[in-house]
Amino acid sequence: MRILIVEDDPVLADGLTRSLRHADYAVDCVNKGDEADHVLAAQSYDLVILDVGLPGLDGFEVLRRLRRRGGAVPVLVLTARDALPDRVRGLDLGADDYMVKPFDLPELEARVRALIRRGQSGGASLLTHGALVLDTAGRRATLGGEPLDLSARELGVLEVLMMRSGRVVNKEQLAEQLYGWDEEVGANAIEVYVHRLRRKLEPAGVSIRTIRGLGYLLEKGPTA
Amino acid sequence: MWLCWPLLVLWSVNSVIDYDIANRFVNLAYDRSLLESALDIGRQVKVLNERIYVDLPEIAVQMLQSRESGRLYYLVTGPDNEYITGEPDLPPPPDPFSGRVNYYDDGYHGKPVRVVALHLPLETGKSNSLVMVQVAENRAAREEFARQILLRMILPQALLIIVAGIMLWYAVGRGLAPLRALRLEIESRSHRDLSALPEEQTPQEVRPLIRALNELLERLSLALAAQQRFIADAAHQLRTPIAGLKTQTELALRQTPPGEAQTTLRQLRSATEQATRLVNQLLSLARAEPPAGRIEATLRFDLHDLAREATTEWVPRAIERNVDLGFDDRSQHAGVEGDPFLLREMLNNLLDNAIRYTQSGGQVTVCVRSVEGRPVLTIEDNGPGIPEAERTRVFERFYRVLGTGAEGVGLGLAIVSEIAQTHGADVTLTRGTAGIGTIVTVSFPAPEQRVTLARDRTDLN
Repeated sequence: MRILIVEDDPVLADGLTRSLRHADYAVDCVNKGDEADHVLAAQSYDLVILDVGLPGLDGFEVLRRLRRRGGAVPVLVLTARDALPDRVRGLDLGADDYMVKPFDLPELEARVRALIRRGQSGGASLLTHGALVLDTAGRRATLGGEPLDLSARELGVLEVLMMRSGRVVNKEQLAEQLYGWDEEVGANAIEVYVHRLRRKLEPAGVSIRTIRGLGYLLEKGPTA
Repeated sequence: MWLCWPLLVLWSVNSVIDYDIANRFVNLAYDRSLLESALDIGRQVKVLNERIYVDLPEIAVQMLQSRESGRLYYLVTGPDNEYITGEPDLPPPPDPFSGRVNYYDDGYHGKPVRVVALHLPLETGKSNSLVMVQVAENRAAREEFARQILLRMILPQALLIIVAGIMLWYAVGRGLAPLRALRLEIESRSHRDLSALPEEQTPQEVRPLIRALNELLERLSLALAAQQRFIADAAHQLRTPIAGLKTQTELALRQTPPGEAQTTLRQLRSATEQATRLVNQLLSLARAEPPAGRIEATLRFDLHDLAREATTEWVPRAIERNVDLGFDDRSQHAGVEGDPFLLREMLNNLLDNAIRYTQSGGQVTVCVRSVEGRPVLTIEDNGPGIPEAERTRVFERFYRVLGTGAEGVGLGLAIVSEIAQTHGADVTLTRGTAGIGTIVTVSFPAPEQRVTLARDRTDLN
């Protein structure tokens, strides 16, 4: 996996490069916009991490030229500006994700993984959460290698929770996933599925937390 | 009011002058008639056999004594000052005696009198045989007459002054009306409104003043904008080095075995977090402040959804700190007009504060309701609470409640209050329902009020 980092601040560029190399990515780093433009025209990458404020060409222009040439590589834009118009402009120009400096390194690494996965065909069909593994294609779940006995609805709820592990999923989102747009679904039904799921997962130390008035959250396990 | 005093003084001075004039002419008239009487008496002074006598018929005496303007007293004395007839105790004329006719004021029987003394030559053949005729009259009559004249003069004058005063007051009021309107306009402005004052409908004389004021306002707003740009630029510039610092610290932490070095790195990381927060808050403040504080994107949206979304995003952070963050089930939908980006910023600061200052195991609850048509957002925590004396101060920039121990720079509530003001909303702090903790209440104007507010704003801009 090759990643291009375009960042003019040497300290930040060095930190990013080393962190991604630790994660076994092949990393190239340039510090000027026009240089990035040349490199991107000549070589192919699996991901570009692009700063907006660059000497030479600014990041938005680099992105615009890349997309005009038909380059489909995922681009994660880094910026010191978080005003709404800037954000919208970046996404309009074809950025795949957007992070405002200063960011958390683990968060950046997670997004890098997600973008690279998305860039590969189809994406992974396996979701893992500690000892819990969900095969979205095969519609089955295992806990520590042992198959879990889950109904289709329970599996659906678990899939949504695992996709957003560590974040809140509200009942509307769960209902959408389970029933499609048109069907009406009671909040009580969702509660029942979550309750059953919880009972089956709790012995293995996987807990689904209820967030008052907001929904549910699959708590990050020690290894997640 | 200020006009009354000079007018009153003017009127008093005028009255004094009037009184003097009246006195002078009344004296002149009365003196003449007094002289007539003296001459009448003088004509009756006769000499018979070297004896001087006055041939006054009884009727004439009665006439003198019963005149309408008051009784006359007379005294006739001979050349050697011998008494001839009349009242012997009439006061004598003052010395030196000059001329033929002399007027003087004196007292008689305890009353002020006016006296004329007349010297008449006698046809006796002897030289230097002068007879003196004195006629005296009470001053009361002439004084009364002078008073009447004065009264008749000053009453119309007073009326004139009052009418003129009223007309002046009215005219000045009319002339100053545009100035008063201008004053009201300036008084009713918010501190963030630096738009130009209206020049039309003001009198010609005031326009240069308004123009000068407008120029000052413009310079001020340019200076403010420059200052804000500077803060925003500085904050933006700080972000990249902080990002580098943060990334490197994180990397170093991963590679350092537990021990003193790692403790140092953890401290470094937490300092970096604080710098990050400060920079972000400075940017929020620069955005929320005047003149950039004018709502750029006014949209109508559901406060309930916005608050729920913001709360959802803070859940991971709350879990990290073992704070039970929730959204009140009794919340209602409530339409608000404003800038959702700024309001989100406000919610982030309120939630950050609530989670930050609530102890582990505590609870934070967000609620949106509609109270008498006004959308009301509340964020309640059961943390340590804010002492009553500090409740207004916490809205000041860089103010922190002492002894809380939590890291923070004290800009959060300043941002909240700026953004609330921009939306015409009130922020209040009260003690929690169970007597502990804090409730932050943000009360928005009812939507229709909000619409007119937004229209006023665009009119002024």
